[in-house]
Amino acid sequence: MDGVRNVDELLAAVDRDGAVAEARAQAETTSRRGLLGMTLAGAGALVLTRADGAAAAGISATDVNILNYALTLEYLQASFYTEAERSGALAGKTAQAARVVGATERAHVAAFLDLLGSKAVKRPTFDFHGTTEQQSAFLKTAVALEDLAVAAYKGQAPKLQSNAVLAAAVGIHSVEARHAAWMRALFGVTPAVNAFDQPASRASVGRIVASTQFVVDKPRLRAREKPKFTG
Amino acid sequence: MRPTIPAIEECKGSINGPFSRRVLLGTGVVGAAAGVPLVGRLLRLGDALGAPSKAQDDKILQLVLQLEYTQVAFYEQALKHAGLKGDLRDFARAALAHERQHLAAVKGALGAKAGAKPTFDFGQRTKSAGAFTRSAIELEDIAVAGYNGQAANLTKATLVAAAEIVSVEARHAAWIRAIAGEVAAPDPVDKPLTAKQVSAGLQAFGVST
Repeated sequence: MDGVRNVDELLAAVDRDGAVAEARAQAETTSRRGLLGMTLAGAGALVLTRADGAAAAGISATDVNILNYALTLEYLQASFYTEAERSGALAGKTAQAARVVGATERAHVAAFLDLLGSKAVKRPTFDFHGTTEQQSAFLKTAVALEDLAVAAYKGQAPKLQSNAVLAAAVGIHSVEARHAAWMRALFGVTPAVNAFDQPASRASVGRIVASTQFVVDKPRLRAREKPKFTG
Repeated sequence: MRPTIPAIEECKGSINGPFSRRVLLGTGVVGAAAGVPLVGRLLRLGDALGAPSKAQDDKILQLVLQLEYTQVAFYEQALKHAGLKGDLRDFARAALAHERQHLAAVKGALGAKAGAKPTFDFGQRTKSAGAFTRSAIELEDIAVAGYNGQAANLTKATLVAAAEIVSVEARHAAWIRAIAGEVAAPDPVDKPLTAKQVSAGLQAFGVST
C-alpha cells in the first residue's frame, strides 16, 4: 500500500543499522545496573520501507509534502544531537540520553530519506549558536526542539492520506514525546505539563524554528568546528 | 532571540531514584492472550478495521475508556498504598490528574454509551514503590501502544483528540523511566498494539469487566 507495506516493515527499517539499539545498550550498561531482558530494537522494531524513489512514487503529493516537512524537523534534531555529542560538552546522564536520542533522530532521518527517495528535501545548513557546547543550553534547547516536534507531528497526523504513513508517523510522534519528557526530566522541569498536548500548525512551527536562527543559508565559519554532520 | 521555550516551569526534582529492571511490555500480553477477553466486543476488531466512522470511533473509545479507568484507579490506589515519596509521588499525582482529565474527556465523547467502570485487582502492583514503578511503565506503554494502534481506524476528528492524549501517556512513560534511571525512550518508533492485545494486557494487569 502506497509503497509502504505494513507497519512492521516500516518499523524494521528505522533502525536497520542498529545504531539506536547500540546507543541504548551503551546507555544501559553504563547505568548503575544493566537492564536485563532488553531486546534489540531490531527485534520488535521498526519502519519505512526501502525502495529508493520507487516508494515515493506510490505516496500522494500531500503525504510527500508532509513527510518532507517531518524530514526537515528530523534533520534539525539529528544535527543538533550529533553536534552536541561531538562537542564533548555533555556529561553523565545527559550525555547518555543525547546518544540514545541522537541515534534515534538519525534513524528517523534515514527512514524518511529511504521512504522519500529522490523526492526527499536536502538537509539545510544549521548553526546552533553554541547551544551544543554547554550542557544547560543544550538541555533547554533540546526541550524546546522535542516539544516542538511533538506538536508538529500532532498537527500533521490527521492530514496524512496513507494509513501506512500515518501508522509510522504516530509511532514516531509518541517517541518524540518520550524524548521531550526525558529532556525535561534531565533539565529539571515537569516532563508532562498538561493533560492534553496541543498540536502546532506548520506556520507556527516555522515561526518558532525561524526564531531560533538555527537554519542558516551558509555555514558560519568557525576555526574550532567543522559544519559536517552525518546525522 | 534564541530557542523559544513556551513553558519552562519550576524545577520538579532530580531524576535520581531507585533503579529497576525494565518490564517488557509484551510479557503480560503474551501471558494473558488465551484468557477471557476484557472488552469482549472489541476483541474481533483487530488492527485493520473498516473505514473510519462514528460507530467505529465509539467502539474504539470503549477500549480507550477501559484504559483510562485503569490508569486512574491504578494511580489512586498506588498513592494510597504504595508508600510513594519524592519524585515518585510527584509523578503519580501529576499522572493521576492527567488521567482523570483523559477519563472525563473519553466519557464525555461517549456520553450515555460509555461502558461500565471495570473492577480492579492490582495485587502487589500498588503495594510498594518498586512494584508501582515497574507497573506504571508497563501500563503507560500499553496506553501509548493502544492509542497508536487505533490511529488509522479513527475518524480525523477523533484522531485529533486521541493524539492530544497519546503523547501525554508517552511523556508519563518516559518520566517514570527517567525516575527509575532507565533509558527513557528505548525504541526509535513505538510499536502499536491491537485492541485484542490491549485487552489482554489490561486483563493481565488485574482489570476485569
